[in-house]
Amino acid sequence: MMIRDAGQPALLDCREAASALYDFLDGRLIDATMTSVQQHIDTCAECASHYAFARRVLDLIPTSFPIDSSIALRARIVASLKAEGYREERD
Amino acid sequence: MPETPRDAGFDAQVLAALPHVVRFARSLAHDDALADDLVQETYLRAYRSWDTFKPGHDARRWLFTICRNVYLRHRERETRMVDTSGETAELESLAASVEHGAATRGGLGELLDRIDVAPAIRNALAAVPEVYRTAVILVDVEGESYEMAAEVLGVPVGTVRSRLFRARRLLQQLLYRHAVDAGIVRAPHSPEPGGA
Repeated sequence: MMIRDAGQPALLDCREAASALYDFLDGRLIDATMTSVQQHIDTCAECASHYAFARRVLDLIPTSFPIDSSIALRARIVASLKAEGYREERD
Repeated sequence: MPETPRDAGFDAQVLAALPHVVRFARSLAHDDALADDLVQETYLRAYRSWDTFKPGHDARRWLFTICRNVYLRHRERETRMVDTSGETAELESLAASVEHGAATRGGLGELLDRIDVAPAIRNALAAVPEVYRTAVILVDVEGESYEMAAEVLGVPVGTVRSRLFRARRLLQQLLYRHAVDAGIVRAPHSPEPGGA
């Protein structure tokens, strides 16, 4: 398959660019293929839109699940661990 | 009573990871009460087997593995129903490219500016089957590498890649359908208002 081959950047069609979407966004392609994909999305408005949308969704996923230090849950867990013999430093 | 060295190690490595385990469980279960139960059970199991934990290994990944196993026990029926045979990233990408044309014509680019994204993403991810959802949680939420996600899931890296592809595609589809259902973007085949 073209996008997996090493060597000089090759011209990609939209189907090949779609296949490479997440490997490109995750930086998991070899340099020549990264360049090929970049060349395609620089010249194809529809694929550029698809890539931009996918990039935004990936960026938004972690912010949709904020860290919650959940002190109440920690106390509950520590209490259940103590029943198993656990001793916390502050005890 | 002073803390034992065993418990000091557990504090430093396992309890310190609690916020990440809570986030992992909540994104997996999409139900905070269930997630809290999962986390509690995860920590009990971890404490009971702490003596077998190899020093130098990543405790967070170990906890994710335990937590997922606890969750799967709760959801055995769902995991049996999902057929992952024959999945490949290439097939997923072809399906994605076909849908992409319709979605861009329907207003894909504006979608994320017009919806409350965080709850929409949480709801969409909850609708993705667990086998795919966990790959997204590990890589896209927790920031694990493909290789580390493969270790947690006990599958080859190529399987993580194909599951991620499918999960992300499903996520995009679900976000798009949510926007269409909510009247935020126009369905690709719906007539123009006032059209023939």
